[in-house]
Amino acid sequence: MNSPLSPLRHICVLAGLCVLLTVQTPSAAAEPTGSARIATPHELAAWIDERLANHFVKTGAAQPALVDDATFLRRTYLDLVGTLPKVSEVRDFLDDESDQKRTRLIDRLLADPRFAAHLARTWRRVLVTDSNSAAAFGGQIEQWLTEQLAQNAGFDELTRKLITAGGAEPAADANGEDDADDDQEAPASQQTSAAAYLRSTGGDPASVAGSVSRIFLGVRIECAQCHDHPFTDWKQQDFWGIAAFFAGARYNRPLPVPNNQEQPPTTDERVTSITPPDIGRTYQASFLWDGEAVPQIPEDKLPRQVFADWLTSQENPHFAATAVNRVWQQLCGHGLTESVDDLDRAEEVERALLLDDLAHHFAEHQFDLKWLISGICRSKAYQFAPNTTADGAGQVAARPLKVLSPEQVFDALEVALALPISRLDEGPRFNGQRNEMIARLGETASTSPDKFRAGIPQMLMLMNGVLTGEATSLDKSRTLRAVIDAPFLDDPEKIETLFLATLTRRPSAVEARRLTEHVEKRAAAGERGQAYAEILWALINSPEFVLIR
Amino acid sequence: MSRTFLNTEYTRRDLMRLSLASALGVSCSGWLPSLARAAAERKNGRACILLWMNGGPSQTDTFDPKPDHDNGGPVKTIQTAVPGIQISEYLPGVSKEMKNLAIIRSLTSREGDHGRATQLMLTGYRPQPATDYPSLGSLIAKELGDSSSELPNYISLSPVRFAQAGGPGFLGPQFAPLVVSGNSSDTRARANLNIENLAPPAEVGLGGMKSRLQVLDLLQSEFSSRYESEASRAHRANVERTARMIESQAKNAFKLDEEPDEIREAYGRNRFGQGCLLARRLVERGVPFVEVTLAQVPGAGAAWDTHANNFNSVRALCEVLDPAWSSLVRELRERGLLDNTLVVWMGEFGRTPQINPNTGRDHFPGAWTTVLGGAGIRTGQVVGNTGKDGMAVVDRPVTVPEFYATLCAALGIDYAKQNFTPQGRPIALVDEGGKPLAELVG
Repeated sequence: MNSPLSPLRHICVLAGLCVLLTVQTPSAAAEPTGSARIATPHELAAWIDERLANHFVKTGAAQPALVDDATFLRRTYLDLVGTLPKVSEVRDFLDDESDQKRTRLIDRLLADPRFAAHLARTWRRVLVTDSNSAAAFGGQIEQWLTEQLAQNAGFDELTRKLITAGGAEPAADANGEDDADDDQEAPASQQTSAAAYLRSTGGDPASVAGSVSRIFLGVRIECAQCHDHPFTDWKQQDFWGIAAFFAGARYNRPLPVPNNQEQPPTTDERVTSITPPDIGRTYQASFLWDGEAVPQIPEDKLPRQVFADWLTSQENPHFAATAVNRVWQQLCGHGLTESVDDLDRAEEVERALLLDDLAHHFAEHQFDLKWLISGICRSKAYQFAPNTTADGAGQVAARPLKVLSPEQVFDALEVALALPISRLDEGPRFNGQRNEMIARLGETASTSPDKFRAGIPQMLMLMNGVLTGEATSLDKSRTLRAVIDAPFLDDPEKIETLFLATLTRRPSAVEARRLTEHVEKRAAAGERGQAYAEILWALINSPEFVLIR
Repeated sequence: MSRTFLNTEYTRRDLMRLSLASALGVSCSGWLPSLARAAAERKNGRACILLWMNGGPSQTDTFDPKPDHDNGGPVKTIQTAVPGIQISEYLPGVSKEMKNLAIIRSLTSREGDHGRATQLMLTGYRPQPATDYPSLGSLIAKELGDSSSELPNYISLSPVRFAQAGGPGFLGPQFAPLVVSGNSSDTRARANLNIENLAPPAEVGLGGMKSRLQVLDLLQSEFSSRYESEASRAHRANVERTARMIESQAKNAFKLDEEPDEIREAYGRNRFGQGCLLARRLVERGVPFVEVTLAQVPGAGAAWDTHANNFNSVRALCEVLDPAWSSLVRELRERGLLDNTLVVWMGEFGRTPQINPNTGRDHFPGAWTTVLGGAGIRTGQVVGNTGKDGMAVVDRPVTVPEFYATLCAALGIDYAKQNFTPQGRPIALVDEGGKPLAELVG
């Protein structure tokens, strides 16, 4: 199914490269003060560490403690490949005495094929939120992103493809109803997959302008759709100036007008102006921070391609910074500014501490996400233990607990409970249970990693659902049977094994003592098996299982 | 008066359930809540049932008929129990309860897109990307609910919509709805709108669950002693809410098979009808806000979004709506609950008075209808007028903030009260410019 598409993909990559070259030639962004070019992730980590060490000296704040090996292992696994290590991997890692083991783990996980898939899921949630009525587009986007990230496409190239994608025109829709269902049946070419992002926003130029500026530029200009922004400098021209670049895009739905009458869609892809029906004024395409100057559109480019070149240029102060900020948030639980999609609200001191220079290094290194992630994970900042330190500069020392995504919950359960994973076994990936769980958990998934939003139905599914029921059933659970029946393990060792499988750590002294007592008490009543089932159930329903320390 | 009646009712049910539980060999000691507390769990004893009409119902073919104009189409009107008020022939049961209903024919809003309009009508605010507004159910759950009640304070039954909406917004997870999807591969569960996974596996039972929760409590305590945080507190709150529901088995609210057959038939043997019956059972058990959605009806594939084949669709929808709604009002009245229970009928917008070439009606937020009843609303009257053709409000336009303020007033809630976003920004319960309609309340 892929072979007929590959020429198209080559053309895309070539086009991407041409754009890359034309944009980068004239750029000569200023070097960040006091830092030379950084080549390796190791150098990047050292640079971050030095910046933060100086910051802590200057502010007199204590540097937070770093996590222990077990916490680091769980954190890194979930952050980089989205699942848990097996018990044997946990034991090997904890017993490994090399002082290089953390960096070796990072390198191993970055080379794991699950890395691209997990990163794609993470970015899909940025692009298409679960609360979006167009969440149906998510699957297409995720698959496309996985392919791109597996080839380590630069973030600039990837972004250009996302926002310049053409795709087929949606089927004529006499009823004016949502056509998300029709779209799923469209041919899944590279172009339409990439275009799924733009269409998921709603597809009209105003929705695209709002989404693109928030996600890729970290500015909230949607309010300027109806009126000049009261708190910042955004004017209606800024909003509609961006929307105008997308006025002629072929995937577009026209702007909706009151009472559901739609303007006839424009058929000219080169159009560079837009007339919102309820404003009645025409706006010309314009870049942000550039007044009302009308950009030149070369013969061989479409307006939205010109916009994409401007957006992803190294000289754009917001593009790299917003990407870096989001990656930092994904890894460390919060961004380097209070809100990752509102850089206007960021304080100068927040941006100066790390964000702006880190963004510069990222841009200089071809917007390479893997390189950036590798560098951050190697730094001490990634390894801070959970804490709620408030140091006033982007809270860089604070480390909140993070909440597992729906897919992470399922994937973690799959490893911890040794669920059947093959099609032959009719495992939960194939019998509908995985989809059911992810859909239910997805109803309350948060876009901010430190917000726990699950409700009662989600809890009930994890407590009493089929998957948990089978996994904690004495007859059916593989993990439980393996532990209970292991003749070479005594009670404390059995408890330890359940902890390693679920929480990636050994039990504390208190936990070990009290749970051993629990087992002995139940064993006296002939219910040793039930005691272990209860412990396993409690472990996967504990806050620690669905949170990342 | 009604309290005594309720208590008697609960005691009888209590006994029924106890005998049932004993028959199954489950020990109930220490698990069952005192159901007599139920009515006291709502702060002022009031409750709200929202009948949500997904897709935007046609006002012209329901409550604002235009029999003397082309826009009226083929639908005939009938006289209601209130002299002078006529409604569509599709709603004979409702017409008999008109003394207990008030029609607002002059609602006017500006959102003509399903997603935005749904958010507007479910939050009272026009959607804005920067603020995640709480839905009506969450607002009322916060004002009227008891945080330690066995049942959640906001329950949403089969919410199928053209937009994701109805969440707690910035109020946070403790005000999220319990969503009963009604979807299940088990036909019996579907017919009874059971809540999924409420019961532990049979081999575990309630006794085993207690033991499991004790182990979980140990792990939670260990965890929060080391990692106290917003997320761990939210998790703990949810475990407690969920455990209370499992332990009380939701006060058997979801056991619709306790109801006599003739009652179940009267509401209609369909998801919406049984949802209205369930809403009554939930309100009786102290739940302050229940939403029932009418979305899936055979013969009306797009629910109320009747761009084509409008009249057949609206008739099919009304055949489900009419018995359910009229039974609900009648039963609330007979049980002495109507004085404290506000029943709201609305969708996201109305539909064009003109009939389009597909015999359909399109989105129309300019002049449309909602219906209120109970909780002291002055019923048996019509507010507003849309003239001969229904194309515009010609008398007493009602804005969404005014409508929301009216709901708050009927429920005894101060509509000017402010909630605070996590960033500390004050957001009033009702958007600027909202004052209750003096004709209906106060």
